[in-house]
Amino acid sequence: MNPLVIAAGWLALGLVTSAFLRRPTARLVAIVPLAGAALTLFVARSTTAAVPLGGLSAISGLDRAGQGVLVAAGLSMVLVILLQPSVDPSMGRSIGVVGAAATITIASNSPLITGLVLAAAVATLVLRWVDQAPGKVSLAAGRAAGTGTAAILAASPLLPLTGFTTGERPVVVAALLATGVAALLAVYPLGGWAAGVIRTLRPIEIAPWLILLVPVVLLVAERIPGGVLGAGTPVFEHVLLVVGLGSAVWGGIWAVRGTDQTRYGRVFMADIALCVAAIEGPPVSPALTGALIILVTHLTLAPILLRPRDGVLVWPRRVAWALLSGVPPSPAFWGRLLLLEALAAGNVGSTIAAVIAMAAIFTASVMACAIRIRPLAPPGWRGRVADVAAWLLVAVGIAIGLAPQSLATFVFGH
Amino acid sequence: MGVSAPLLSAAGVIASVVAIMVDGRRAVAIAVVFLAAGLAPTAAAFGGAPGVAVLAGSAVASVLLAWIGWLSGRVLPWLSGLDPMIPAFAPPDRLFGPRSTRAFGAAVAILVASWVSFNVPVGQITVEQGLLFPIAYAWVCGAVRLVTARTVEDLAVGVAMVGIATATAWLLRNGNDALPGAAFACVVAPLAAFLAGWLNGRSSRRTQTRVEVEA
Repeated sequence: MNPLVIAAGWLALGLVTSAFLRRPTARLVAIVPLAGAALTLFVARSTTAAVPLGGLSAISGLDRAGQGVLVAAGLSMVLVILLQPSVDPSMGRSIGVVGAAATITIASNSPLITGLVLAAAVATLVLRWVDQAPGKVSLAAGRAAGTGTAAILAASPLLPLTGFTTGERPVVVAALLATGVAALLAVYPLGGWAAGVIRTLRPIEIAPWLILLVPVVLLVAERIPGGVLGAGTPVFEHVLLVVGLGSAVWGGIWAVRGTDQTRYGRVFMADIALCVAAIEGPPVSPALTGALIILVTHLTLAPILLRPRDGVLVWPRRVAWALLSGVPPSPAFWGRLLLLEALAAGNVGSTIAAVIAMAAIFTASVMACAIRIRPLAPPGWRGRVADVAAWLLVAVGIAIGLAPQSLATFVFGH
Repeated sequence: MGVSAPLLSAAGVIASVVAIMVDGRRAVAIAVVFLAAGLAPTAAAFGGAPGVAVLAGSAVASVLLAWIGWLSGRVLPWLSGLDPMIPAFAPPDRLFGPRSTRAFGAAVAILVASWVSFNVPVGQITVEQGLLFPIAYAWVCGAVRLVTARTVEDLAVGVAMVGIATATAWLLRNGNDALPGAAFACVVAPLAAFLAGWLNGRSSRRTQTRVEVEA
């Protein structure tokens, strides 16, 4: 099946569910990511990974890692919806558009198509966020992430760089692409918007960005230096290494200092920043594996941690935080160890910054575990199902910690 | 007959300045029409008649879709939503307002566009010619409009400007994919116009209803 068909499926289902579902049946929005993940299993497989550094070209297939990311993200999104106390049926539109954009982004070799679909995804999210919480914070998402997609669009006429691998052109392209990636992944100094929306909006509202878009953009960012970027490669790598490490430290500190309500978002941002820094660091193999383990860990635990703290799922939440803390043999430990190994191959400064960020994330996780809330009995069969689902997710998290490499290979083929 | 680079640049700069400064409910359509007209000479020089047709088509589609969006927003009864003209936040009173910031950005954009124009080659254009200037200037102005946005309408104008500028840059590539690429990039502008028109239509219906109720 062509990725365009899968994207059309995401889009059509998203629009249909947002138009026809009402409050009592709002949870059926979960059909959108479920169908998207199911369709992705039948995608036409491509032997080579798509890198958006070419000209205008047709979209033919998905590589194994891209397919794994999309399926895992789709399933994670399903569980996020099912574990929320309440769901707005109009969410289907954002989920559908962002899912479609994520599918095309990871399958496209053309920076123009990538930029256009990412612009559509960002526009959909921003309109929803501004509608839900009008203010400086939600508009900032449009400013920063919108400028990021504009930067990717601006790079498109300058690509491919065949015959222009030296001089200013590859450097300008690299700077534009780095700006796009940093803005979309909410890496500082372009990441303030994400911290704002995490603070202002309900967790379910930011889930399409966090679950569907970020993993895909991270994977694409990892592939860019492997393409023909010429003299721009060190610029792209070094910019993202420096801002990634700075962002990880900053995010970690704010995960400790911030409120409990925003803690998971901050930890997620810090982890993603660490991944960005490591995969753009020295060209060593542990970085990508570490980043994929971190991704699959977050995709597994996000459905539990994105649920507002309300006395339900208290113990699964505590165990989930323990799995994110980085204490061995939690999956986060293996992921961060590989990231650290990759960064240590570069220079001591990177290692020190990464250790500080990891220490802050550990402290934030311990603080989150230590919060006392009286557990409420799950109301009715629906609550019990949510409880069972949460414990199953925790079990998957433990399994990842016990066999991280095997799980990463199973999901991403890497 | 050779191409007069200063003339192309002057047309692009005037159009971009209008696009970055324009406000109001028809801002997106106005910005797209001016920008398409200002960049049309550049498009004609490198994309020929098809290049101009792409920009003209985008401008016409933007005007039409803005109107259709506005009409649909007014007619469809079951939807209501945000007003794209209301600033999402109100900064404190200060000496220089949002338009002054945009004007400052437009001035700085000249330096950026000038550097890009003389150092970054696109397709067949060599660095000495400097013909990328109007396109780079329009793109930077679009980015400034995005970064300084206070309303959803501002965001839509910025996105439309970036789309038109990118489309013209694709025409300068002069390859097999130049025209389809330009057409793809141009799609952004009519979509932004439709969205802004749609939101304007919905909010104007809501205002009208409130006035009727009060009467």
